[in-house]
Amino acid sequence: MENALALTALNKSFPSHKVVDGISLNVPKGCFYSLLGPSGCGKTTILRMIAGFAEPDSGDINLNGKRLNGLRPYERPVTTVFQSYALFPHLTAAQNIAFGLERRGEKPAEIAPKVKRMLELVGLEQRADRLPANLSGGEKQRTALARALVVEPELLLLDEPLSALDPALRKRVRLELKQLQKQLGITFLFITHDQEEALSLSDQIAVMNKGKIEQIGTPQEIYLAPASRFVAGFLGAVNWVDGIGIRPESTRISRQKPDPTAKSITAKVVTSTFLGDCFHIETTTEKGAAITAQVPFNEEPFAPGESVHVYWHPADELPVRE
Amino acid sequence: MNRLRTIFLAPSAAFTVILFLIPLSIIIAYSFLTRGVYGGVVGPWTLENYQRLFDPLYGIILWRSLVMSTLATILCLLIAFPLALFISRASDRAKGLYLYLVILPFWTSFLVRTYAWMFLLRDTGFINTILTSLHIINEPLPLLYNETAVVVGLVYGYLPFAVLPLFSNLDRLDKTLLEAAADLGATPWQALYKIVIPLCAPGLRAAGVLVFIPCLGAYLTPDLLGGGKSIMIGNLIQNQFTTARDWPFGAAISLALMALVMVLLVTLLRQDGEAAL
Repeated sequence: MENALALTALNKSFPSHKVVDGISLNVPKGCFYSLLGPSGCGKTTILRMIAGFAEPDSGDINLNGKRLNGLRPYERPVTTVFQSYALFPHLTAAQNIAFGLERRGEKPAEIAPKVKRMLELVGLEQRADRLPANLSGGEKQRTALARALVVEPELLLLDEPLSALDPALRKRVRLELKQLQKQLGITFLFITHDQEEALSLSDQIAVMNKGKIEQIGTPQEIYLAPASRFVAGFLGAVNWVDGIGIRPESTRISRQKPDPTAKSITAKVVTSTFLGDCFHIETTTEKGAAITAQVPFNEEPFAPGESVHVYWHPADELPVRE
Repeated sequence: MNRLRTIFLAPSAAFTVILFLIPLSIIIAYSFLTRGVYGGVVGPWTLENYQRLFDPLYGIILWRSLVMSTLATILCLLIAFPLALFISRASDRAKGLYLYLVILPFWTSFLVRTYAWMFLLRDTGFINTILTSLHIINEPLPLLYNETAVVVGLVYGYLPFAVLPLFSNLDRLDKTLLEAAADLGATPWQALYKIVIPLCAPGLRAAGVLVFIPCLGAYLTPDLLGGGKSIMIGNLIQNQFTTARDWPFGAAISLALMALVMVLLVTLLRQDGEAAL
């Protein structure tokens, strides 16, 4: 597939340390691409360099064959959904959305229908004339999204746009965001530190740590076949048993010795927590390693102190070692 | 709790009553009385002092005061806005230094600083001497004792009052909004015009009020730099209490000036109230 964005050997240092260290990646056209990593890993700096708010020390930023290095932010065919939304507080939702079109010199007669269509698309027709202060968190988020999308950017940058929403709303908006991206076909570069967000939304994910890319792949690839211990641990909980990593949901517990095809180890139950859809059971092995397992909700509860067999299937082992 | 509040408020309440409300009442009373032969006031009560305000002679002075104060205010805002913008974008350490420099003139008496301006502007002053010795001019330029000199003096004197509220407003402005504007295609000028200035309206109004009001009542600057030719309301009031010995009329002009300022303030504050909604 043709690439929209291509970053080549991008470097950026701050006085204290190197924040972006030789980053190269390609974002295919129409892709929902996530940069996933802990705070301080350099993902936001990459976004700021693509938007033009910061210049790389070295390396190239190309968008659809055009070099963006050195262009002012207002000269780049890229828009951003800011973490804080950065809505203009003195303009209504509709005026915020119209802002980018006005800057492109479009006439009011052309702007009005585009703004109206965008308001409908994000379900804000009833909120068009409200100031940001009178919009709810979700409405602000959608206004910011509409404002960035209405100018039909070649690339939309999203800087943790869901982090300010409450958890229930975040899940709903996540679905809407994915649908919207598919519907419009605009390339999204999504910055997040939330692995669940990245896994559920992305076509491709680049996992970052300390200014470098640890792994690039589809959500399944990076979850099931992490290329490093960091990726394995960042994308979900991992039990490390004698250097081998197993996800808690692949870890089973039984009172009888399991099938010889499974690997097993004896352990003692420490705590058992009922979570509704499953039990979350923490155990400890004779060597003192902590192993967490998820047990179906309808099984007979395990009691703390009980001796059990912890087992898993070799196929579920992660391909990284501790 | 209530007792503590009473104790805490007592000094300011006493201050307001003794140094503000009582003198104001005296001025109000004086303004309805008749002048004494050697100053002071005598009976009977009269409205004549207020009727005299409508004399065209005083109308000219009021008009001149309004025009010069407006001009000085506009110039102050034009100079203060870029300066405040510059300071607000400096590093935290530099900000402190620049703000310190802005208020530095207050360390010296306003009178001394105004004399310094006379030294700069007079025929044998600094500017004219330099220009003459460089043969740019042959005759000294008439820089002092005119309305321009007064406006220059007013702008100089009250510029810090414009810089500080504008700085405080600009400093609180979310910098991400400027990035968002640029991101959506706004050039720096468009961002300034469409985002920064509208969001600075409260600061601009506050700065305008803080400069305009003292300008309107100024008497030292027009007295020294205007040379008695272009007097403003402040000088008129001063004259009534000194040379003219017409205290009741002076009191009436003072109250009229106060009323004017209050009307302006209420109008502007109402706008701020609406903006806050």
